[in-house]
Amino acid sequence: MKRSYVGVLALCLVLLLNIVFLQLAVHQFFFERYTLVLIYVALNILLFPIALWIYKKEKNQTMNSG
Amino acid sequence: MTEQNKPYEEDNYTHNIHRNRERTLDRRGFMKTMVGAAGVFAVSSLPWGGVAARELWNFADDEDERQKIANVTDVPVGESFDFTYPTEHDSALLIRLAENDYVAYQNACTHLQCPVFWEKESWEMICPCHHGYFSAETGEPTGGPPRRPLPEIELQVQDGTIYAVKVKRYEA
Repeated sequence: MKRSYVGVLALCLVLLLNIVFLQLAVHQFFFERYTLVLIYVALNILLFPIALWIYKKEKNQTMNSG
Repeated sequence: MTEQNKPYEEDNYTHNIHRNRERTLDRRGFMKTMVGAAGVFAVSSLPWGGVAARELWNFADDEDERQKIANVTDVPVGESFDFTYPTEHDSALLIRLAENDYVAYQNACTHLQCPVFWEKESWEMICPCHHGYFSAETGEPTGGPPRRPLPEIELQVQDGTIYAVKVKRYEA
């Protein structure tokens, strides 16, 4: 079985984006740019199903190949 | 393979795990943790979104109340006066820059919320915690770590009394 770390790297990227978006949302909140806050919060929430999808995809791949 | 011929004692289908909980640190477990972390981030950003949405949609009826701060005679030119506005938890600073020139700001430093003081000698507002400097005329940061201006409070002077009317919004 050949190991693939694509899923791990993709999830690391998702987590990095999570941190960045939360930081931006908090910053824009203090600048009172509330529309931008909503956009960043929406992006952050959207990342969760993406992470779940990456995990499931990676799990299925491992099961099929291994 | 029958029960007697089992080569290993432990209930371990890969036979190469030598430490307790070794499998909880594998790739699958790591990915599960990352997905969980993404969930935690999604949930923790909800309150910010909630408050932002409320601010956006209740913008019009979010008026602050008019509040008396001080009498004109209490604040000589070049001096400052502490008060709280719009609630008793928001400390603020009134400065009389000239005979008929008053400014007021919420004085929590926009860096890490330390109280900002008026320094008459340097004619500047100073945050002593990390040496942040603000212009008294505009509230803009002039030095140090803060990047955002102090929230300005709109004032009215009527019959020798100074009133706070509302907290100005940032230019979006």
